[in-house]
Amino acid sequence: MQETGTIRLFKRGPTAEFRLFVFVALALALLIVDARWTVLDPVRQAISVSIYPFQRLMFAPRDAVERFNDWTDAAALARTEKEALQRQRIELAQLSTHAAQLAAENEQLRRLLNVAEAVTQQAVAVEVLYEPPNAFSHHLVFNKGTSSGIKPGMPVIDEGGVVGQIVRVTPFTSEAALLTDDRVSIPVQVLRNGLRLIAFGGNVSGKVEVRYLTANVDLEPGDTLITSGIGGLFPAGLSVATVDSVIRDAASGFALATATPLSHPERYRHFLVLRVDVSAQEAKQESMSHGSQTE
Amino acid sequence: MVRRPNDSVPVSAYRRSQLSALQPIDSSPFKKPYSLIFIWFTLMLVWLISLLPWRLWEPAPDLLLLVIAFWCLHEPQRVSMLVAFAFGLLMDVHDSALLGGQALAYTLAAYGIIVLRRRLLRFHSVVQALHILPIVVVAEGLARLAYAWLSGEWAGWDWLWSALFTVALWPLADLLLQLPQRRLDDPDPGP
Repeated sequence: MQETGTIRLFKRGPTAEFRLFVFVALALALLIVDARWTVLDPVRQAISVSIYPFQRLMFAPRDAVERFNDWTDAAALARTEKEALQRQRIELAQLSTHAAQLAAENEQLRRLLNVAEAVTQQAVAVEVLYEPPNAFSHHLVFNKGTSSGIKPGMPVIDEGGVVGQIVRVTPFTSEAALLTDDRVSIPVQVLRNGLRLIAFGGNVSGKVEVRYLTANVDLEPGDTLITSGIGGLFPAGLSVATVDSVIRDAASGFALATATPLSHPERYRHFLVLRVDVSAQEAKQESMSHGSQTE
Repeated sequence: MVRRPNDSVPVSAYRRSQLSALQPIDSSPFKKPYSLIFIWFTLMLVWLISLLPWRLWEPAPDLLLLVIAFWCLHEPQRVSMLVAFAFGLLMDVHDSALLGGQALAYTLAAYGIIVLRRRLLRFHSVVQALHILPIVVVAEGLARLAYAWLSGEWAGWDWLWSALFTVALWPLADLLLQLPQRRLDDPDPGP
């Protein structure tokens, strides 16, 4: 029975410690690479696409319930919406005549000044698939991706204004960072006086901050911030937030304003992704942090 | 069941008098291996449940970790660190977190269970839970430390509640996952 050498009675792999070392090293390498570079995006996309059917499967009951609720509420909803729309139409009628007049005037002035004509934005309507449980970021995952023409960098809006920006896409899903995410920054303008600023996702959750203001800046609580269109990604004139407070620090000579976003990403399921041309930005962007370039 | 040779003899006297009474009543092996289908069914089921939005509540227990830990304890040949790592990676992608965060936590927890396996198997589920609490806390804590190091912020301590709830569910998981192993005629399944 006994032959030269030892007989291996049991099949044994590497020791637990060795395996632990391999997996921990792999996990740490993944963490570091994913935090610094974007080379792992294809891996993430592949996994994301492969788990997508399971996600849809699990969300199917919820979607069915929502569809049923929508269906049963349809009459009441249509009535309230109709009333709201009528009210809005009356309010907007005056504005629209005014706007038409301004647009005509603007066009004329642009022609006079030889400015390239502003292109109208194409948009994709998306629906929230789920909200990733992640303590570090405020993101939403939508149900459409590159197959619908969505690319990283595109702005997301709802009827209140800017919601956020697409940061990651797969063929069937896309992920948006909300305005309140601290990695999003957006070039804004004060509606009252045209002051150009940059708004950042705040340290306070659910708020937007405007930092590095000079202490004598003309910004007051109640001011509305709109996109200035300067970064090139966000079209000009979308409302962003209203200023809550301006804290002027006499010691440092700077002021800090806190603002509440006008959009409500937590309330509705449908949003619009504006299909702006992001090809110029893609070259400039190195990592996932998006938003404004220099003003 | 071994048939008793003589039914007329009282049991006590029978036990005292005959050496054959020392033989086990049931000679079939006590531990049957778990069915592979059952193992993967539970893993997939818990993974699918983990895709649902209830995990938005931060102290929510990590059911997937619980089930992986259970199988690492009872079937280390089939569910090992590789499985833990793979499921962790899937959760990272679903949560749109940095790749490798959950994978690190699950791998460390699986290692802890595998190292303490011989000891853990001697105890019943409540004492096992007391052993598993530090494993889960250390594994999750180290993963979160790595995460905090890379993202530059600490996400708070709510995850400690999550670890506590996870471990509190261990006896229940133990009961449910061992159900197919129990025989109907067995009043006390033993440890």
